[in-house]
Amino acid sequence: MEVGQMQRQWLDYTRSLFLEGFLDAQFMQLQQLQDENNPDFVVEVVSLFFQDSERLLKDLTFALDQNAVDFKKVDAHVHQLKGSSSSIGAQRVKNACIDFRNFCEEQNIDACLRCLQQVKEEYCLVKNKLETLFRLEQQIVAVGGSIPLVEPTQMSF
Amino acid sequence: MGTNCRHVFDRLQSFATCWKKNSTPTGRRVFHRDVEKEEFQYASTQCLSSYYSVFVVRLAIMAMLAILIGLLTFLTWHFTKIYTTKSLNSLAYDLRYELLQRPILRMWNILNSTSEITTAQVKLSQYVIRSHTNLATQADQVEMYDAMRAVTWALFASKRALNSITVKYKNGFVQAFHRDLKDNNTFYIYSDISNYSMASSGYNEINSLSPHEAWNDKDIHGNKSAIWYREPLDPVSGEKIGKVMPIAPEDSINIAGLSQVPDGVASWHVAVSKFTDSPLLSAALPVWDASNKSIEAVVGVTTALYSVGQLMKELVELHSGHMYLTSQEGYLLATSTNAPLLSNSTKPPKLKMAVDCENEVIREGAQWLQKTYGNNSPQSHEVHVENIKLGRQQYYIDSFFLNLKRLPLVHFKTLHLLLMVDLMCNIVLKILQLSKEDQVGVIIIPRKHIMGQADERAFKTLVILISASLCIIVIGCVCILILTNGVSKEMKLRAELISHLEARRKAEASSNYKSQFLANMSHELRTPMAAVIGLLDILISDDHLTNEQCATVTQIRKCSTALLRLLNNILDLSKVESGKLILEDAEFDLGRELEGLVDMFSVQCINYNVETVLDLSDDMPKLVRGDSARVVQIFANLINNSIKFTLSGHIVLRGWCENPNSCSDDTSFSLEEKKSRCSQKTKAKQHQNHAKRISNRDNKMKLWFEVDDTGCGIDPSKWESVFESFEQADPSTTRLHGGTGLGLCIVRTLVNKMGGEIKVVKKEGPGTLMRLYLRLSAPVDASEQHCQADFANKGLVVLLALQGNMGRSVTSKWLQKNGVVTMEASEWNGLTQTLRILFHARSSAQNNGFDANYSIHDNLKSKLLSIQELRNPVFAIAVDIGLLDLSTDIWKEQLNFLHKYFGRAKFVWILNHDSSNTIKMELCKKGHTLTVNKPFYKTKMIHILEAIIKERNDELPKKNMTPKARLKEGNLHESLEIDYTQCDVASSDGSDISEVGSSKHVSVSQDKQREKIVRSNPPSQHQINNFVELTNEYMEDSNPTKEELCQSSLNSNDVTANVTPKSSSTKQTSFATVAQGEDSEYGETRKVSSSSRAVSAKKSLEGLRILLAEDTPVIQRVATIMLEKMGATVVAVGDGQQAVDALNGIPGVEDCRRESLLKERSTRSSQTEILSYPPYDLILMDCQMPKMDGYEATKAIRKSEVGTGLHIPIVALTAHAMSCDEAKCLEVGMDAYLTKPIDFKLMESTILSLTRRTW
Repeated sequence: MEVGQMQRQWLDYTRSLFLEGFLDAQFMQLQQLQDENNPDFVVEVVSLFFQDSERLLKDLTFALDQNAVDFKKVDAHVHQLKGSSSSIGAQRVKNACIDFRNFCEEQNIDACLRCLQQVKEEYCLVKNKLETLFRLEQQIVAVGGSIPLVEPTQMSF
Repeated sequence: MGTNCRHVFDRLQSFATCWKKNSTPTGRRVFHRDVEKEEFQYASTQCLSSYYSVFVVRLAIMAMLAILIGLLTFLTWHFTKIYTTKSLNSLAYDLRYELLQRPILRMWNILNSTSEITTAQVKLSQYVIRSHTNLATQADQVEMYDAMRAVTWALFASKRALNSITVKYKNGFVQAFHRDLKDNNTFYIYSDISNYSMASSGYNEINSLSPHEAWNDKDIHGNKSAIWYREPLDPVSGEKIGKVMPIAPEDSINIAGLSQVPDGVASWHVAVSKFTDSPLLSAALPVWDASNKSIEAVVGVTTALYSVGQLMKELVELHSGHMYLTSQEGYLLATSTNAPLLSNSTKPPKLKMAVDCENEVIREGAQWLQKTYGNNSPQSHEVHVENIKLGRQQYYIDSFFLNLKRLPLVHFKTLHLLLMVDLMCNIVLKILQLSKEDQVGVIIIPRKHIMGQADERAFKTLVILISASLCIIVIGCVCILILTNGVSKEMKLRAELISHLEARRKAEASSNYKSQFLANMSHELRTPMAAVIGLLDILISDDHLTNEQCATVTQIRKCSTALLRLLNNILDLSKVESGKLILEDAEFDLGRELEGLVDMFSVQCINYNVETVLDLSDDMPKLVRGDSARVVQIFANLINNSIKFTLSGHIVLRGWCENPNSCSDDTSFSLEEKKSRCSQKTKAKQHQNHAKRISNRDNKMKLWFEVDDTGCGIDPSKWESVFESFEQADPSTTRLHGGTGLGLCIVRTLVNKMGGEIKVVKKEGPGTLMRLYLRLSAPVDASEQHCQADFANKGLVVLLALQGNMGRSVTSKWLQKNGVVTMEASEWNGLTQTLRILFHARSSAQNNGFDANYSIHDNLKSKLLSIQELRNPVFAIAVDIGLLDLSTDIWKEQLNFLHKYFGRAKFVWILNHDSSNTIKMELCKKGHTLTVNKPFYKTKMIHILEAIIKERNDELPKKNMTPKARLKEGNLHESLEIDYTQCDVASSDGSDISEVGSSKHVSVSQDKQREKIVRSNPPSQHQINNFVELTNEYMEDSNPTKEELCQSSLNSNDVTANVTPKSSSTKQTSFATVAQGEDSEYGETRKVSSSSRAVSAKKSLEGLRILLAEDTPVIQRVATIMLEKMGATVVAVGDGQQAVDALNGIPGVEDCRRESLLKERSTRSSQTEILSYPPYDLILMDCQMPKMDGYEATKAIRKSEVGTGLHIPIVALTAHAMSCDEAKCLEVGMDAYLTKPIDFKLMESTILSLTRRTW
C-alpha cells in the first residue's frame, strides 16, 4: 500500500475518533508532546492507561461483587479511572466514570453495576480503537513513512 | 346538648393549639431554618384548615345558640302551660263535679223528704183509719175525716217544699192540701162528703169481689158527680181564711188514685200540671186496712222540682255556664236557665226534650251529646268532654248519670196498686218509673271561664318568649359576627403572611440553587471553553487558512474569549453570592501588580488613542497583604470599563494612602529609627528623608484609588445603580460596547469584601471618576519598602518629550516634587526648540548669559536658571518614539539630529509595543540603549534615573583617566533593557557602587566574569531565567546577528546581574550561588543546542526541579512529559509518603525511576551537588493518593519546614473543580491549585508565578 494512502487513512481514522467523541483535546496534547525525545510517548502512555485501567476494572468488579460493597473504595477506584482516562483524553470512559461516581454517592448498587458494565464497554471500545490506530501507525512506520503531524485544523469540530 | 358543648369546646381547643403552633415557629426561626421550613408547611395547612373551620365554628355556635334559646323558650312555655292546664283541669273537673253534685243532692233530698212524708202520711192514715174501723154513722165518718185532715195538715205544714198532699179514700172522698208556689197561697181541697156516705157499704162488697173494677167504676161514677171545694188557708196556722169555693175535680191538682198504685207498691212519677211551669215529682202509696187485705185510701205527695232549677240557677250565676237535668229519655227536669221546661204549644203541656230546649247552649250541648253518643249512653255513664265548640264559644261538657235505685222505698213493695185516673183533664202524664229511673245531669261550662286566663296568659307568654328569644338570637349572632370577624381578619392576614413567607423562601431557595449550580458548574463550563479557545489558537496558527477563514476564526476566537470572560464574571459573582469566595491573605507588591495591569491595558489603549497613566503617590506601601488576584480584578474591571467608554483622552489610575496614624510624632519617630538603622548600614546609601510609614500589623491601612477617564460619563442618577447586577448606565451601550453589566457589580462586591467602598464621584469635565478605598494590611516591615532614591541633589535635568499630556504632567509633577528639574515638550518642534535653548543657552551662558535670540517664556527661564545653578548637571531626555515621524523616513533624520546631543545628554527612548525592529536596531546601532516600553510611569523613571546616576558615578572616575575610551566602550556594549519585574529589587535598596564598579570590566574573559558573579550577590534565580527568556526572544527576533547578539546578550546578562544591586536584606545562601552558576551554564548549553533546533518549544521552566507526586501512572507520565517539555527536571513518585521521603533527603534513585533518561543524563553531574540542599523547587501534588494523600503529605512537608525558613511551593493537582477543594488545598498549606486534565499553559504560568514569588 502506498504510504500516502496509509497516512490519509490514519488521519481519517483519527478524525473519526475525535468526531465520535472517543477522544478529546487531551489526546491531541499528548500527540503534541510526542517528539524525537519521546518517539513512543503516546503509545507508552496509552498502554500505561490500559494496564492501569484493567487493574482498576478488575478491582472494581471484585469490589462490587462483595456482599457488603465498600462504596468508598469503589469511589476511589472510579476516581482514579476517571483521572487517567481524562488524562489520555478517553472522553467517553471519563463521562461514564462521572455517572458512575454519582451513583456511587447514592450507593445504588444496581446502577453501579450497570455503570461498571458501561465503563467496561467504553473501555473496550476505546481500547480497540486505539489499538487499531497504533497498528496503523506501526504499518506506516514499517513501510517507512512518518506519522503525519496531528493537524487539528483539519479536524472539523 | 352536652355533646354539642363538648364538640364546640374541642373545636376551640384545636383552634388554640393551632395558634400556638403558629406562633412557636416564628420564635425559633432564627435558629433552625430546616425546622422552620417544615413548621411553615405544617402551619400553613393547619392555618388554612382552621381558617375554614372558623366559619364552621361560627355557624355552629350560632345554630347552637338558636337551638338553646328556642328550647328554653319552648320548655318554659310547655311546663307552664301543661302543668297549669293539668291542674286547672283537675280543679275544673272537681268543680264541675261538685257543681253537678249539688243539684243532684238537692234532688236526692227532695226525693227523700217526699218519700219520708209519704211514708209518714201513710202510717198516720193507717192509724187514723184503723182507729175508725166501724164507721157507723156519717158523723163518725166526718170525725175520721177531720182527724185525717188535722194529721195531714200537720205533715203538710211541716214540709214547706211540698206541693201537695192528697188522700183519696176508697169511697171516692178526697182530702188534699195544696200549696201554690207562685202566689204562696195554701188551699184545702175536699170533695162533697154527702155523695160518698151511701156507697161505703157497697164498696166493701164490690171490693171483695173485684176490688179493681169496683174502684174504677165507682170512681168514674163518683167523679162525674162529685163536687170539690177549695178553701184557702192561712199558710202558718191552717185556719180558714177565705170562702170555700167549689172547683171542678182535678182542676188544680192531680190526685193520686188507685191507678197509680196498681200493685200496691209505691210509685213515682214526674208530672206536669197546668198550674206550674216546672215538673213535679209525685209519689203515691196505698193505705192498707188492718188486715192488709184491702186498700183503704191512697196517699199522694207532690213535690216541685222547682227548687232544683233554682239551685242550678244560683250555682250558674256564681260560676257561669249552663246546667240541666234530664231523664234518661232526654226530658228536661231542670235547667239553670229560665227557659220553660214545658212545651206551651201543645195541649196538654208536655215536658220538653233537652234537644228542644229554647236555650241555645243547652240545646246544642244536648244535640252534641246525642250526636256523639246517640241514645246509648256510655257504660260509665259519665262524659267529660273539653273544648266543645257550641255556638261561638268553647265549653266543657260534663255529664253524670245518677242512679236512683237505692231510694229507700223498697218496703213499699207490698203496697197496693193505686190507680190514678184523671178524668177531668185528660192530661197524659209521662210517668217515669223511679225505681228504674236514672237521671242525667249535664253541666256545660264555657272553657273561657276556667281556662280563659290561662290560655290568654300562655299565649302571651309564648309570644313574649318567642320574641325575646328571637331578639337574643339576633343579638347573639351579631355579637358572634363582630367577634369572629376580627379573628377571621387576623387569620386571613396570617394566611397571607404565611403564603408570602412561603413564596419568599421558595424564591430564596431557587436563587440559592442557582448560585450553587453556577458555582458547581465552574469546571463544566470552563473546560469546554478552554478547549474551544485552544483549538481556535491552533487553527489560527495554521497557514493553510484563506484570509477570509482566518478572519472568521479570529472573530470566533474573540467571541470565545469574551464568552469565557463573561462566564468567569458570572461564576465569580455566583461564587460571591453563594459565599464560596474566600479572599487570600498573602503579601504582594501592590505597585507592581498595578503596573502590570497598566502595561496590559496600555496595549489595548493604543488602538483607541487613549493614554493610560498610573499615578501612585509615594506614600503607598509597597507590600501589602491581601488577595492580589482580586485586587487586580477590581482594577482590571474598572479600567476595562473605562476603556470601553473612552474613545480619546486618558485614563488615570491614582492611588494614595490615608494613614489614620499620620501624626507629626510619627515622622520624628521614623526619623529616629531611620538614623539608627542608617548607622548600621553602609554610608554609601543616601539618606532618605521622606516620612516612613510605621504601620501596625493589625491596623489596616485605607488605600484610596481613583479611576479617572474622559469617556462619556455616567448620568448622576445612575451613580448608585451601575453597581447592581446586569445594570448598565445606558442600555444603548450594550449594542455599542457589549458587556453584561456584571463587571461593576463584581467590583463592588469585591471591594466590600475587602472592607472598602466604591462610588462614582463628581468630576470636572467630561468622563467618570470612580473613587474607592480598600482596607489592606501592610506587613510589619513596611518601613523598608519606602526606600526610594532621592534625586534632589544629583543635578539631574529631565526633559520629557512625551505625547500624552496627562502622563507627562503626572511624571513631571512627581519629578519636581522629588527635586528634579523637569522640562516638557509635547511634539517634535517643541523638543528641538527646548533642546536648542537648553544646550545653546547653556553653552552661551557659560560665556555670556542667555542668547536673546531665543524667546523663552518665564517658566522655562526660571528652570534654565535653576539648571545653571547645578554644578554638574546630567541631562536625561525621555523621548517618545511617537514624536518621530515614522510614516516616512524622516525619522532617521530626526534621529540623527538628536544624536548630536548624544554626548551631552542621556537619551531614554520610550517605545511603543508595535515599534518596528528597524527602529530598535537603529537606536541600538547609535548606542541609545536606554529603552523602555510604554506606558511610562514612576517606577520606570526611577529605574532610569538610577541607572543614569550610576553611570555618571562610574564615568566620573573613568573620565579622569581615559574618559573618551571608557565612554565609548561602555556605551557600545551596554544594552540596558529594563525589565520592570526587577525593579523592586533594583529600587529596594541603595546600590553597592563600589562592587558594581569593580565588576564593570567587560573585557575580561567569561570565566573570570563568572567568578565575579559568584562572588558578587546574585539576583534571584528566576530573574536570570527571565532574562534568559528575554534574550532568547530577542535572539529569535534578530536572526541575522544571532551569534553576535548571543554574545552581547551574555554580556548584558552579566551586566544586568551586576547592575542589579545586591539586596542587603536578602539572605545569602551559598547554594543559591551554586544554583545560579549552574543555571547560567545550562542556559548557555541550551542556547547552543537550541540554535540548531526548531525554536518552537519555549523552555520556560528551564532548570527547575519538580517533584511530581501522582499515583495514576497515566497522569504521571503525561505530566512528566509536559514538564520536561518545558525544560524542567521531574522526579515522579507514586504517593504522598514517597514525596515526603524524597523531600527529606532519602531520595533513592530507585524512587525516581520515572525520571526521564535524558534529563537524568544531563543533570547527573549536578544532581550530586543539589542533593545536599532541598532538592526541589516545586512539588506537584495529587490530592487523592493511596497511603498518604496530598493533603496529609502537604501537612507533613509544611511541618518539617517549620523553623528552617524554607517554603517549597506545592501545587495541588485535583480532579475536583470545586472551590471548596481549593479552599482545602490552600488550608493545608498548598500554594496553588491545578485541575485535571492538566492544561499545558495554565500549569506553566502557575509554576512560573510560584517559583518567582518564592525567590
